[in-house]
Amino acid sequence: MLEKIGAKIYEDTGVTASEALFPEPFRSGLEYAAPARGMWNIVHTGMLIPESHQIFVCAEGCLRGVVLTAAEMGAIGRLSSVAIREGNVLDGDMEELIIDGASDIIGKLPRRPRAVLIYTSCIHHFMACDLPRVYAVLRERFPDIDFIECFMNPIMRKSGLTPDQLMRRQLYAPLKPLPRDPRAVNIVGSDLPTDDGSDLCRLTRENGFSLNEIARMRTYDEYLGMAKAFLNISTYPSARAGAETLSKRLGQRHIYMPFAFDYGETDAEYAALAGELGVEAPDASAGRDAADLALDRAARTLGGMRVAIDYTAVSRPVQLARLLSEHGFNVTDIYLDSVSGEDRDAFDWVKGNLPWLLFHPTARPAMRVAPRGDGTPVLAVGQKAAYFTGSDRFVNIVENGGLHGYDGIAKLAGLIADAAETPKDARALIQIKGLGCSGGCCV
Amino acid sequence: MIQLALYGKGGIGKSTTASNISAALAAAGVRVMQIGCDPKADSTSALLGGRRAETVIDLIQKRGRDFPLEDMALEGYGGVVCVEAGGPTPGLGCAGRAITAALELLKEKGAYEKFAPDAVIYDVLGDVVCGGFSVPMRAGYAQKVFIVTSGENMAIHAGANIAMAVENFRERGYASLGGIILNRRNVKNEDEKVLELASDVGTEIVGAIDRSDTVQDAEELGKTVMEAFPDSLAAAGYRALARAVAARCGMEVEL
Repeated sequence: MLEKIGAKIYEDTGVTASEALFPEPFRSGLEYAAPARGMWNIVHTGMLIPESHQIFVCAEGCLRGVVLTAAEMGAIGRLSSVAIREGNVLDGDMEELIIDGASDIIGKLPRRPRAVLIYTSCIHHFMACDLPRVYAVLRERFPDIDFIECFMNPIMRKSGLTPDQLMRRQLYAPLKPLPRDPRAVNIVGSDLPTDDGSDLCRLTRENGFSLNEIARMRTYDEYLGMAKAFLNISTYPSARAGAETLSKRLGQRHIYMPFAFDYGETDAEYAALAGELGVEAPDASAGRDAADLALDRAARTLGGMRVAIDYTAVSRPVQLARLLSEHGFNVTDIYLDSVSGEDRDAFDWVKGNLPWLLFHPTARPAMRVAPRGDGTPVLAVGQKAAYFTGSDRFVNIVENGGLHGYDGIAKLAGLIADAAETPKDARALIQIKGLGCSGGCCV
Repeated sequence: MIQLALYGKGGIGKSTTASNISAALAAAGVRVMQIGCDPKADSTSALLGGRRAETVIDLIQKRGRDFPLEDMALEGYGGVVCVEAGGPTPGLGCAGRAITAALELLKEKGAYEKFAPDAVIYDVLGDVVCGGFSVPMRAGYAQKVFIVTSGENMAIHAGANIAMAVENFRERGYASLGGIILNRRNVKNEDEKVLELASDVGTEIVGAIDRSDTVQDAEELGKTVMEAFPDSLAAAGYRALARAVAARCGMEVEL
């Protein structure tokens, strides 16, 4: 009986590429969260708005995670909460509780925030609380504060935008139309600042454009100034919907430029950006050669070492697997719970060319007890891959790590080579929430 | 576009009244959408020849939220767009949540733009027992609430509670009270009792419907009186009521 149960458990921990189904290779249901916590959450992302304060309105039991996040990043002074109790549900004063609670908190803060992000929770939506009225009252009461409608309502999540997409959209809700600056460009919806050396930053800045992104904003007025840009660039998949909404609302142009591991796509993205900027398309040959060189060098450094990639490190793990394989890397494992449409072509390529490659879930409960590696050295790209393979040789990045273009590919190859040569204290590093946030970029 | 909601005690005749108002307005060329907000989901059956429309909640439970708007709405007598919110498993689910989910989904799927109704009639279950039942009277939905009542004590009691809820919500910019629709049951001192209610809650009786076998006969045929017996006295009564209700909402209609 035990053997039978055990066999059942391990069925859920991996599937070969040849058998994997698009877009969901694994069943969904009860979920497990591995203690690799570098991905940002709604608290981290909200903290990117300078001079803002967050108020969570929910049952006390729901507060644990968000309070710990704020405390860990040293921003507990920027987060407050209003606890909902059963009496509020019975009395029907849920709306008054938000209004009075937020008013009380604002009155007691040592500094007047320029913006207040109010996170309502599942029960507000279950009970059909009149949230538009709540915000109307607060805006009338505090005309000097921008109130931003935010959500912590996983149960009430519907089709449409995910909580991550919603948060990235709401991040720009206070921006109001400003006179257009034809030399100003925004990168919208990225948690991490885009690397200064990236092709993206260089192409814009070297052609005389200013490049703004929320992770670099230090004052609220600077942040509001993002409304002047004529062009918004989104590079992270879950930022795209919000960037489209913002651009439509403010009449800005928008271009979506994901960090691609496909040279043809990269060339097309940069040609499109050059078109938007009205400048000559860059000659990509030097960047491409540098990327190839870095990849080949890293492949030699790794020898035949196994490579495992997870979806938290890069938004296109399957495309990265294809690129690395084409450069001689021994990619054996990919950790993801679903395959994005952007990875579809690469997924089909992997099925045909690396049919033995294993896809593993990260959120299936069986992964809690799945063996952590088999003793074979593994180079992991991403914290989850490191955790599940038990490897201390890993690339410690999340959400593409601010990398972009050929320069990003070359730098990622360099990080892979470094990781192969220099072990890290994985246990200490991966349990810190919001990689890159606690370092001070948003506090 | 005018939007109005009918509230009243269960079984008082809200759906019959709503359907006949819809049919009367439609006959005058008004594009009407009637939304049943009751787990019984029979608000629009007289407009659909006795058929039951598949409810929004049933659709959500079967197909998530991935279905076309057209599946939520059937075209009934006179081109009236018929929608039934539906409700949860009796004794287990949350009826208020069901109304909220249905109305949210109609907006999300662009029902108001697609069907472009001139008039929307919300036919709402019984009493305002929780937040979900107040959604049809909120900003963006009905501008006027009409209470359907007879002279029976329980109906008057429910009517008073509804009027109180409307009054409580006044400062929020919700719907205001449009008036009372007297659906006569021929109880003793009926008109006096309902007039007293109207006086107590600061409104008027906008129309009265006499008890009539014609209404029951039409119901048995699965039709509105307007469709089954357009030349009857009862039909004339509904026409007058529809005109009065529309006028209260700012729409003048020749009927």
